[in-house]
Amino acid sequence: MAKIEDLKEEAKKLLREGKVKYIIGYGAGTNGWPAAPVFIKKPEDVDKLVWDPTCVHNLVRFLVDEKRRKTRQKQPDTRPVGIIVKGCDSRAIVVLLQEKFIERNDVYILGVSCEKTGVVDDAKLSKKLAGKKAKKVEVNAQNRFVVTTEAGEIETAPEELLAERCLECKANFPVIYDLLSGEKTKRPLEKPFGSLEKMESLSPERRWEFWKNQIDKCIRCYACRSACPMCYCDECVVDSINLAVTADTTADEKAQRIHWIQRSAEASENLVYHLVRAMHLAGRCIDCGECERVCPLDIPLRFLNKKLEKEAKELFGYEAGFDADLPALVSCFRDEDPQDFIR
Amino acid sequence: MAEDFEPRIVAFLCKWCSSAGSDLAGVSRMEYPPNVVPIQVMCSGSVSPLYIFSAFNKGADGVLVSGCHPGDCHYIKGNYYARRRLNLVKKLLEYVGLEPQRFRMSWVSAAEGTKYTKIIKDFVKELKPLGPQTKLRRNP
Amino acid sequence: MEKTLSKKHFSQWIKSLNSWSVYLPREDEEARWNYVEADGQEVGLDVLQTTLPPKKILFPQREVFLEFAKALEGNHETLEVKEILPEVRPTVILGVRPCEARAAWMLDEVFSGEFRDVYYWKRREQTALVGLACTTPPSEHCFCTSVEGSPHSVEGLDLLLTDLGDRYYVQSLTPKGEKLIAAAKTLFEEPKAEVRKQVKAVQADSKKKIKRHLKDARPIAEKLKGMFDSTLWDDESMSCLRCGICTYLCPSCHCFDISDEVENPSPLRGQRVRTWDTCQFPDFTMHSSGHNPRPDKASRLRQRLLHKFQYFIQVYDKFMCVGCGRCIALCPVGIDIIKVLDKVRENGA
Repeated sequence: MAKIEDLKEEAKKLLREGKVKYIIGYGAGTNGWPAAPVFIKKPEDVDKLVWDPTCVHNLVRFLVDEKRRKTRQKQPDTRPVGIIVKGCDSRAIVVLLQEKFIERNDVYILGVSCEKTGVVDDAKLSKKLAGKKAKKVEVNAQNRFVVTTEAGEIETAPEELLAERCLECKANFPVIYDLLSGEKTKRPLEKPFGSLEKMESLSPERRWEFWKNQIDKCIRCYACRSACPMCYCDECVVDSINLAVTADTTADEKAQRIHWIQRSAEASENLVYHLVRAMHLAGRCIDCGECERVCPLDIPLRFLNKKLEKEAKELFGYEAGFDADLPALVSCFRDEDPQDFIR
Repeated sequence: MAEDFEPRIVAFLCKWCSSAGSDLAGVSRMEYPPNVVPIQVMCSGSVSPLYIFSAFNKGADGVLVSGCHPGDCHYIKGNYYARRRLNLVKKLLEYVGLEPQRFRMSWVSAAEGTKYTKIIKDFVKELKPLGPQTKLRRNP
Repeated sequence: MEKTLSKKHFSQWIKSLNSWSVYLPREDEEARWNYVEADGQEVGLDVLQTTLPPKKILFPQREVFLEFAKALEGNHETLEVKEILPEVRPTVILGVRPCEARAAWMLDEVFSGEFRDVYYWKRREQTALVGLACTTPPSEHCFCTSVEGSPHSVEGLDLLLTDLGDRYYVQSLTPKGEKLIAAAKTLFEEPKAEVRKQVKAVQADSKKKIKRHLKDARPIAEKLKGMFDSTLWDDESMSCLRCGICTYLCPSCHCFDISDEVENPSPLRGQRVRTWDTCQFPDFTMHSSGHNPRPDKASRLRQRLLHKFQYFIQVYDKFMCVGCGRCIALCPVGIDIIKVLDKVRENGA
């Protein structure tokens, strides 16, 4: 596993020399889930940074917040922001660069490689610990997880605790970075998109049953949208009330805002919200899993985005987050794009 | 499914080819089922997935998107974008369990009045046994 | 009135409540608990903290206020507006934690007063809350004792059940509660003398088991008055995603939005609905002019904390936060309300 010490020195230097405004990284968490995002502004605070398998968050979301903050300031500080990213997170930065939402010199990327493992899934961890509390999770030299609880240490094979998305990981080390800690090891990968096989083998009626039950739970808290680094629109097209109002917005514009779906959390409206979000993420979602992790009702949102990720790869040969010079999936085409569905 | 169920189809027809094709069918007095609500768009490439979801949400039993043949788009490339984007929409709708027959895309040129009527006849025939679309429909 | 109910008779009692709609917590495949309708399989109340509090039933996510429709009679257009009051069956929610009931009691206060919310009260009047005392904290983040609550408080409840191992000690607190007992009164027994001693021991023990504490909540509330412009809020809110989970899952949060949902634009037909809203969304305070007094996360975090720990005290002399710990357990980035308030207490010290 990569060592955070490699990055701490660089982080300290960057802050001391004022080269970055602050550094977004992982620190010790408070609510039983060991790591949490921290924002280091002073060189002496750099020791708060940690790196361990509980660093599941995608910190790239905070780059979106930083950009928003800058647009509100009259004289923004144009120095870059330092950020610690895993392989998956770095792909999110590539997508933001591809869409010209941020520029390369807006971020100073401190990459960490997951090497042969990845991050831990909190539900799997709770199940394994059966009531005990995790104090620390580490990877040992044999690439097995070692969980320290108040009752001692538990060692497990990685597959028992790894997040589902890590089992289908396409980038276990950052694809873009200014400094990298850890080896660029190739991880043996389970079938890519293997998790979709079961769903795709079901009949349409059974699939509908599954999705209906899941979407019924949704309370439209929009946490999935808030956590996603790619959902950076100021005005969400399927949220009828968040019109970006300025002093110049006319009464007509406000009155004629289209309400595509109702705000009520009915199954039909929830489904359209999730389908539109999935379409807007086609060719952009890099499977950081945040949407599913933050959902308070455990709706398996990754499954929805994953399907389009698979179609993008298999039908159009397109993968998100590797090449910042590619056009977006839906604003390019190939002559050989399949058209057997058109009759 | 009652025999008197008449499916409501919303058809997004591109102005330069498909809409003209449907006009030709009308002018030539060709008979075809009246279940279609035609919506003229400038290009099939301008059809956003949101229109399709919204059509289903408002109660459409079937949605058709029809544009110019590849190479004939009035705006050169619009139908290529449509071909890619709407393929994704179709896969997504099928994935969540909507009957695959409900969403259809076709190429209809301005001279293909007959083809248009055939598409509508086939579409209505396929939709009748499926009954009304309730999955994405907003409940009043 | 005090009774005991053997756990063996619990299912029978639930079955006898067939003229009520019965809700209680059930676990799903993801090991999450939520209040769902009873289906005859209930055997007891060995339940943990639910994700959504009972406010989902008392104050639903979506509620229709009125329906409107325009009709054309000759040249004359008429507008018909029909008020829709909720049609509610008598409802009972079982397994409500004392903190959640206190929160319901706070919702009662907010929706009363000069403008009595008729929609809320139509549901509330028909709903009975049957509490389950917390013999062990249902969540590792519970801190009810720090905000003037208690694991066996009776505020807001119609019945309180205390788990004594093989049976429940049942306290009836209101006429609604008595009706619930009367539905199957042969199943209930008079409490024996040692039961009261057992209950006292359980109550004392339950307070000791609470792991988290917020020291000096009242002095903190006082101190918050002067902290409106503090830079503390900027530092603490930096990792906030403004996802709204804290407020959506809070038992006492009740902010809502009213909007018109139009079925048909012409002829006009639609409904006016109330839906949940949250002060954590940036648009919550967006004015029609485009000005937003709470444009950044710092001001919104400050709002949430001040509402819970300062404004409510000023108006009702109670902490609006009931110490259930849901916001701590489910915040995706680990913002911990206790830790933030600890920093408030130490600020400037």
